[in-house]
Amino acid sequence: MSVPGVHLTAIGSGDFLLEPTRSLDISKRSELIEGIIRRLQGTKSQRLYYDLAELPVIDPVYFGWLNALARACQTVNVQMVCIHMQPTAAFALSRFVKDPPCFHSAHDVSLCGEGYPG
Amino acid sequence: MAAIQANKLLIEQLKLQIGHISGAIETQGQTVFGTSNLMSTDEITDFSLEFLELMLVLLESSNPLDHHQPAFLALRAFFSNMSKQILARGGRMEDFLRYIQFLQRCLIESLKEDKHMKIDGMRAILLLLSAVFNELTLSVFQAYLEEKEGTINAQQEELRETSTPITEIWDGVLTLPIIGTLDSSRTMIVMEALLNRIAAERARAVVMDVTGVRSIDSEVSHHLIQMVRAIQLMGADAILTGIRPEIARALTSLNIDLGNVTTRASLSDGLKEAFRRLGIQVTSTK
Repeated sequence: MSVPGVHLTAIGSGDFLLEPTRSLDISKRSELIEGIIRRLQGTKSQRLYYDLAELPVIDPVYFGWLNALARACQTVNVQMVCIHMQPTAAFALSRFVKDPPCFHSAHDVSLCGEGYPG
Repeated sequence: MAAIQANKLLIEQLKLQIGHISGAIETQGQTVFGTSNLMSTDEITDFSLEFLELMLVLLESSNPLDHHQPAFLALRAFFSNMSKQILARGGRMEDFLRYIQFLQRCLIESLKEDKHMKIDGMRAILLLLSAVFNELTLSVFQAYLEEKEGTINAQQEELRETSTPITEIWDGVLTLPIIGTLDSSRTMIVMEALLNRIAAERARAVVMDVTGVRSIDSEVSHHLIQMVRAIQLMGADAILTGIRPEIARALTSLNIDLGNVTTRASLSDGLKEAFRRLGIQVTSTK
């Protein structure tokens, strides 16, 4: 069962990698979150890595989507970690984000350990 | 009509006395630039000859006062390049301007050989020379300003780079000592450099030392928090060190909440914290 606009790949015991594609329509937030959570729960996932490598800029709408997905993940005891955040995106986000985001951040999957914020 | 006649007279005199004028220009050039080693003897000779050649071409043109014609543009470019060269070698602008005045005087003095020149012709030549040399002086001054501006920009750039030295003090640990004031433009420069370094070095901790920040206001504290947030979004830890008592007091009175920011008293404590988080142990061998 696939979720439109995202590639979900199991990358280890309990870990999933989410790669958004160009066809991702975040205006259909509810359907997307339901689909992703169903997939994570079905595999007893513990951590979801959201790959931001292809996103040079993150605007408030997209940030809202990331936060909503992270909160939904928390409710099913899955930790969401955004990886490969681009410097331009981090710079743009830091200018309008008032509170800490609901997701964690890490450079990549291998560097996600004790050191990341959260 | 008087102007055309004046041009012809001036050209005639220049051609007749080219050796004498060239010699005088060279001697003066040696006095101004040769003694301070700003130009070599060959360069001064070349300059004198090229100047007279360009001047003749200009006078022979249909309208020497037209500032857009090729002959005038060539003469102006010649002076502009020369002034840049002299400035780059450490020469003084005022010396060069005096030298240009001397060139004008040389040309005027060459006219005294013509005993039959009428007052109208003389006036036309003086007007022509003053118009041409005024324009040349302006272009030299413009070149001087551009050169100065370039120097100031280069110095500012250098200052910016040296004032925010980002150092990888350990594998994955960056330090950034902030000295002076963090205004919006500086914050942008520092953040751009820092975030790119985090991505390039795959840094996992950044220690920002603010010991050198003397005062803080709401704007500066906002920029600091913005930097911390951007670092965290990149997946690295931000540790703020060296907050002076007066800064701490100011942050409190500004209602700035550093609750989400890891702080340590000194840079050394900040490094220890970064090492602890990365699981690095530094032990003495003695």
